[in-house]
Amino acid sequence: MIEKYAVLYPHTKFHVINTHVRNIDGVAKVTGRAVYTFDVKLPGMLYGKILRSPHPHAKILNIDFSKALELPGVMGVVTGKDTLGVKQGIWRRYKDLCDEQILPVDKVRYIGEPVAAVAAITEEIAEKVLNLIDVDYEVLPAVFEPLDAIKKDAPEIHEGFERNINVTRHIEWGDVEEAFEEADYIREDWFKCGGQAHMCMETRCAVSSYTPDGKLTIYHSNQSPYYMQALMAGVLGIREGDIRVISHYVGGGFGGKFELDGAIFCSAVLSMKLRRPVKIVYTREEDFIATKRRTPMYYYTRTGVKKDGTFCAREAKVFTNGGAYTGMGATALYLTGFFHSFPYRWKAYRYDGYRVYTNTLPSTSMRGFGAPQAMWCSEQQIEWIAADLGLDPIEMRRKNAHHEAYVIPGQATIQSCGIQQCFDEIQKWIKTKGKLPKNRAIGISAAGFMSGGIFNWFDTPYAFSAAMVIINQDGTVELHVGAQDIGQGSNTTLAIICAEALGVKVEDIKVHSGDTDFCPPDLGAWGSRQTLMAGNAVKMAAEDAKRQLLEFAYAQSGMNIVYDLDIKDRWVHAIARPERGNDYTELVKKALRGKDGHRIIGRGYYTPHRKGMISPAYSYMLQGVEVEVDEETGKIRLVDSLTAHDCGQPINHLGLIGQLEGAFSMAAGYGYLEYMPYEDGKLMNPNLVDYKVMRATEMPPTPVAEIDTYEPEGPYGAKEAGEGLTNPTAAAIGNALFHLFGIQIKECPIKPEMVLNTLKEKREKEKNSKK
Amino acid sequence: MINDFNYLKPGTLKEALAMYAEHDDCKVICGGQSLLIIMRQGMIAPEYLLDIKHVDELNYIKFDKKGGLKIGATTTHHAVEKSDVVKANYPALVAMENKLASIQVRNWGTICGNLAHADPAGDPAPVLIALKANIKVGSAKGERTMALDEFFVDYFETALQKGELVLEIQVPVPQPKTGTAYQKFNLLESDMGIVGVAASITLNGNKKCKEAKIVLGNAGPIPKRSKRAEEFLAGKALNDDVFTEAGKIASEECEPVADIHASEEYRKHLISVLTKRILKKAYEEARG
Repeated sequence: MIEKYAVLYPHTKFHVINTHVRNIDGVAKVTGRAVYTFDVKLPGMLYGKILRSPHPHAKILNIDFSKALELPGVMGVVTGKDTLGVKQGIWRRYKDLCDEQILPVDKVRYIGEPVAAVAAITEEIAEKVLNLIDVDYEVLPAVFEPLDAIKKDAPEIHEGFERNINVTRHIEWGDVEEAFEEADYIREDWFKCGGQAHMCMETRCAVSSYTPDGKLTIYHSNQSPYYMQALMAGVLGIREGDIRVISHYVGGGFGGKFELDGAIFCSAVLSMKLRRPVKIVYTREEDFIATKRRTPMYYYTRTGVKKDGTFCAREAKVFTNGGAYTGMGATALYLTGFFHSFPYRWKAYRYDGYRVYTNTLPSTSMRGFGAPQAMWCSEQQIEWIAADLGLDPIEMRRKNAHHEAYVIPGQATIQSCGIQQCFDEIQKWIKTKGKLPKNRAIGISAAGFMSGGIFNWFDTPYAFSAAMVIINQDGTVELHVGAQDIGQGSNTTLAIICAEALGVKVEDIKVHSGDTDFCPPDLGAWGSRQTLMAGNAVKMAAEDAKRQLLEFAYAQSGMNIVYDLDIKDRWVHAIARPERGNDYTELVKKALRGKDGHRIIGRGYYTPHRKGMISPAYSYMLQGVEVEVDEETGKIRLVDSLTAHDCGQPINHLGLIGQLEGAFSMAAGYGYLEYMPYEDGKLMNPNLVDYKVMRATEMPPTPVAEIDTYEPEGPYGAKEAGEGLTNPTAAAIGNALFHLFGIQIKECPIKPEMVLNTLKEKREKEKNSKK
Repeated sequence: MINDFNYLKPGTLKEALAMYAEHDDCKVICGGQSLLIIMRQGMIAPEYLLDIKHVDELNYIKFDKKGGLKIGATTTHHAVEKSDVVKANYPALVAMENKLASIQVRNWGTICGNLAHADPAGDPAPVLIALKANIKVGSAKGERTMALDEFFVDYFETALQKGELVLEIQVPVPQPKTGTAYQKFNLLESDMGIVGVAASITLNGNKKCKEAKIVLGNAGPIPKRSKRAEEFLAGKALNDDVFTEAGKIASEECEPVADIHASEEYRKHLISVLTKRILKKAYEEARG
């Protein structure tokens, strides 16, 4: 598509975008110079530890820490009584969904919830002293599964939430009943989708330093320094502007690090009480049992189609295990319902989602944000429907897929969509695979995803993204962004966009991010928003700065006004006569003098307007996975794969490939490895021996067929990449099993024992029916 | 978090044994790949750690055609994996090491340390027992040698007495026409086995089974021989049906414990499948 575009506008041939650009943080990271929160050490710093609830549901009657204070080296203890008791949440516009006191005052609702925090001169003492705190609990009856928690006589987890229903969400378009009447075939299924741990390499950690002048500086590993600043101001009762959040390097987020956690809150409360810096680093176990997780869901879905495979109607009901608090779960509840319709045109669609409180670890956003669950159910059911009707599963999908200019009624308008080319690529790939060995099969699954959310439940008065570009006298550029690099490479992506727009080289750009004192507010790294939203802001800021430079160049050149000037690769030139021009650095020097010595400052911002309910743009993809199954043990092995992927114009090829590999491994883990078993509210595998994460040895080749499209809303035509690919893989694995053995597995992750048992059941049934 | 401890660093074996006899609440560390995990989890908090990593006289792999293989206590997995004599004479041992944990663990961890830790899911024990290995242990008072089969007592418990160190693993030269193999079942390739099976088969002149050894890993508190299956095989002409039957016998004989990864029933099933497969593999190797 970009070639077409280039014919219309020849000067838009890129000089930086999608070339081979190395991660601009790469050297600092591989040489160990990058300072993560984990590495921060301040003078006089104390070490904090958190005492956690051993009960899934209990009243806190009394906390006695007098013995703890006697231990040498212990500097202080805080409990809920030392806080303002603010019930906080990220859905700030909806007060009833702000339901979590990070240090609860009177009641705990899951095993692992913070109860008290201590600070001591060493981490060892801080840990030891936890045993000296006596907490009197009145243990309450607890409930762990959403379908139990909605029963009439279930224990009440939060006051005033009838049947423990935390949030409901409804999506509907068209006349569902009428559309089902038109269907020749209707199929309904129940599915169960598991939870998943975010498993960041860097566990939650924070260093808070409160000084007597009333200012609080916090180093914290998170996905949105602005959210942290704003939320902390709310819970501590101080002004946003008096809080500085620094998050220069973050070891992964995956959707689990843009809400307050125990580390940031408890370290700040301790620091304010003790007037010394306090550091809290979660252990891996704490990260498992006391943060949040991907939302486990029970999915009912009913789908009506015509004989020829035309989709008529779909109706879905979802009960999610919300755990103890809302977190980002309300958004996941909406998005799972929306993406359960993806990427198809339904004449009518109805979704009812119920998020149910339970006494388990709260569930929240995680890479894919409700869509992996939606796709696991939808893409398998569609495969089964195709088989039931004797239709080609790819052709049936093709017939019903989104297309450019398609309007999802009341929800979204699709401006770019390359899914047809995705179907082509996967069909070609399957053909080249030829006949597979008898223990292997290919499963496919389609998906799509958003490029940033439009919703503003956070109630920010700021633009969703903002950027500032400052040009120094030597031509170097200071790019200030609120976007957060959490390892996904956004600093590099934004530097590329800035270099392209301004007409300089990537090495001319210094990116300032991860510091609320020096970066504009921005919603941060979640919902695949930064390339599109922060990218647009950066492009606007760079173009603003360039316009100021060119004003000067124009005045100097004395050219006819019908000619346009531009800068490419540090070369200032007339577009019609690119060979004639001047050096960019020289121009900058002159322009500075002409501006009375002021540096050139460009400003940019982005807030989506009139783009529907969900997102300004959507990525599309189709994935094929070749799966081998050991029929005697049920063990699954991924042999090969191809992902056909439409993310508009890729900005950074290396970054894109890295993101897609990462998403694949997480998605495959969700499909067949990563299970979180609970017994009476206790997680049974909170360690990396028993919690199974894909390793290099388990990864199949993950080539990508990039589909060439252009997204009008994105910077240079770009849209989402790296999160959406978490969505299709589980269903693709399930579909491979379906083609291999004819079995339909309705629970993920698919454990080998489940494969074996389902296969056994099926064979016994067949045997009996023959009799 | 690991509790503070006193660190003892002997230079010689004699010193090591003397120190070990002297200090009561003392754990031996060499690679530390098992020990540090349980220390970090707070399961043990010894007052002393005796670090034998630098006792060089225990770092060796020796082989001769008569006495067989001798591996010293501080020899790493990596050294075993890369040893030419081991490759030439005990390929099953190398194959086992190749899939033991990660490269990093194998570079630092030791095969004797793995045995002394006595995790029933450990990889080396089943193969070594199938190879009829002996283990030499010693204290300041003297040395003794026992069949590795008798070394394991219970979960994480061995026949080591107070003050005794593992000194050496001794593996006899296999009889002619012997094949040995090991396979574990796991979800991630480098994990410990949910279950594992090692088998050794020696054939007699008429290609019948002269002797079989079957050792089940993680199917009970200790690496366990399936003696009934071994007896079943003795003297038999070997074929797929026989292997399947032996697998069934082995699975009936073991007592695996269910956990979050696999039910008891599934583990038994895996034992029968793995036993069948590994016997076949050992047989094919023995047949040559």
